[in-house]
Amino acid sequence: MGSELIIKNLHANIEGKPILRGVNLEVKQGEVHALMGPNGSGKSTLANVVMGNPKYEVTDGEIWFKGENILEYSPDRRARMRLFLAFQYPMSIPGVSVANFLRRSLEAVREGNKSLDEGENPTGQMTKRKSVPPGEFRKLLQEKMRLLKVDNSFINRSINDGFSGGEKKRAEILQMALLEPEIALMDETDSGLDIDALKIVSESINALRGPNLGILLITHYQRMLNYIQPDVVHVMWNGRIIRSGGKELALELEDKGYEWLKVNDEENEVAANA
Amino acid sequence: MLNALATGFSRDAVEALSRQKGEPEWMLQKRLQAWELYESLPAPLGRRGDLGTLRTLANFKFQQLNPYVPADPNTLPSALEASLETSVVDERSGLIVQYNSTVVHTDLAEELKQQGVILTDLDSAIREYPEMVQKHFMTNCIPADTSKYTALHAAFWSGGFFLYIPKGVEIEAPLLAKVFVDTANAATFSHSLIIAEAQSSTRFVEEYTSDVAGDVPALLSDVVEVIAGNEARIEFSNLQDLGQNVYHITNKNAVYDKDASVTFVVADLGSKVLVSTIGAGLQGNGSAGELVGVFFADHDQRFALNTLSDHIGLSTNAETLVKGVLTEQSRVEFDGMIRIRPKAQQTGSFLSAHGLLLSKQARGEFIPGLEIAANEVSASHGATSGQIDEEQLFYLMVRGIAKPEAERIIVQGFFEPVLQRIPLENMRTRLRRGIIRRMSGDYETEADTWVDAQERWEIEGVDEGAIHLDNKPVDEEIQLTEY
Repeated sequence: MGSELIIKNLHANIEGKPILRGVNLEVKQGEVHALMGPNGSGKSTLANVVMGNPKYEVTDGEIWFKGENILEYSPDRRARMRLFLAFQYPMSIPGVSVANFLRRSLEAVREGNKSLDEGENPTGQMTKRKSVPPGEFRKLLQEKMRLLKVDNSFINRSINDGFSGGEKKRAEILQMALLEPEIALMDETDSGLDIDALKIVSESINALRGPNLGILLITHYQRMLNYIQPDVVHVMWNGRIIRSGGKELALELEDKGYEWLKVNDEENEVAANA
Repeated sequence: MLNALATGFSRDAVEALSRQKGEPEWMLQKRLQAWELYESLPAPLGRRGDLGTLRTLANFKFQQLNPYVPADPNTLPSALEASLETSVVDERSGLIVQYNSTVVHTDLAEELKQQGVILTDLDSAIREYPEMVQKHFMTNCIPADTSKYTALHAAFWSGGFFLYIPKGVEIEAPLLAKVFVDTANAATFSHSLIIAEAQSSTRFVEEYTSDVAGDVPALLSDVVEVIAGNEARIEFSNLQDLGQNVYHITNKNAVYDKDASVTFVVADLGSKVLVSTIGAGLQGNGSAGELVGVFFADHDQRFALNTLSDHIGLSTNAETLVKGVLTEQSRVEFDGMIRIRPKAQQTGSFLSAHGLLLSKQARGEFIPGLEIAANEVSASHGATSGQIDEEQLFYLMVRGIAKPEAERIIVQGFFEPVLQRIPLENMRTRLRRGIIRRMSGDYETEADTWVDAQERWEIEGVDEGAIHLDNKPVDEEIQLTEY
């Protein structure tokens, strides 16, 4: 049975302000879901909360992954369960080369789902050297870079330091290719890309698509979906998913904007309160 | 062997010390003048509202210390031997060792001796090369009256290194100077006087370590004077890893002739209270000064770091780059000044200093200063202190890396650009390991993994062209890099 990410009635705040107000969503390995919605509707927050960003406070609900409620797990443990987030704004970390970082990251992810609770080795039992020997790592990296047509100068630079917008997004996808997640959340991977870069990035994502990878593609434009065909489209509004449907929903949204759904949502809310 | 003095600093002690050493009258007079200065100068107290490092030093009971603790060259402690074996300098042109107040060992490559290079203790230099010492010892580079503490140093110095490099002589392998102290309630003075004639070059590495038992305080007062002739190139590296019961006062300065260049590389890891002043007196036209500083402060260490790029001549350049980490209850004050005097046109000067605070109790104050009296200059400065960026941390954790290691990676990344500027490879490695080890506490093995990985990439030269994007088979290469 494939892995599954199940989000139930998720509520989350940032600095006391509610952003997520009861999100329900299921993403299975092998499926591609698009999550659309206007700015400020809570899409990025959802991705961050699923990964455990400490900036947000979960006030209600559950997040299940592979049959475990991961709400109390640290972000690194969630990642080691092969949950992945491609960031909207990848952080640059000067002085740390992409190659070193990726190798450590790969070693960590291969360690798998291990608790790092107090009392246990807080370093996550990563004392084993050579758990990914350089030769193997290099070979794997080469393979992925060839697949994604990434330039090899990438890996010797500091993480995202001085990268252009397009390079940062491609670096995220390279990481995703290398770490082989079971469910990947891709937060506005299309933002800040010109049309050529968008094409390249979309092709990369398509190249990684397959029965072992479930994707939640977060975007507020329909244009990326011209390249990546989603199985399901969800629309988020005001901290909730208010509509789910097939890929035709995305086209309808492009046509009519988000307003018609908003009107519906308000009607629903009135009906619910009545 | 000479005798130790009674506890406490006094005029009588100055006279007794000088007489024991059999010094010429001019040195005795210099000491006595310095002692008068010490008595008349007020202790520097810093600014109102600063972190109080200078006030802490001013309150230190200097009179509990013994000003002179000679050592027997024939019985060296094993800790000193051990620290020589683990020195960052493995291939060297010469070695000079000071143990407490006495220089106990000197050697210099025969070839350099024949070229006229002199490496000796300062007492011998006074006897054998009095003109040079009298001209340069705490006169122009760091005058005795620079501060109360330099005055004390001039009055009570002992031991000390003297290096003279004749015109045009280039010393390739570094010279290693070692200072080791192990006596509680003692003041040790170390002094380096480096005179480099025109077109000469050298790399001088100084290491300070200590093994003073218990919580009893000790003091190491240090002065480094570099006299750089026309087009001389000097690289002075200092690894300070004293125990955290040692008070350390250091003044380092270079005076530059035309087109001379001096690089100071200073790593401060140890000591209880450190007051460090490093200057560049850029008098010669076209001269260039560089300072690369790294520090790591933990427990209740207190550092006050002061730098001065003093642009006096035409078209001089200076670059100051300082980075450090503060953890636990440590406090670090950085004060960096760029001074461009009226005649110093075509000056380029750059200063950057950054402190990374890893605990809520640690406090850092980083202040850059700029005084410009010329109009044709390019100068920039920046100094900050802040905590680890939570978003950076989250980014690494989302890639599966546990928090303690993610923090170490960020710290290493923070230091790396400065470490890259350190010319001595062993020193780079030592600092990388030392910093990470001090951060990781008990988990040394794991810490090494990351550091080693970084080094392995460098050693293997994965960097350039090791990954081919064409279809060439690479299996052969991969086999070679397994270890």
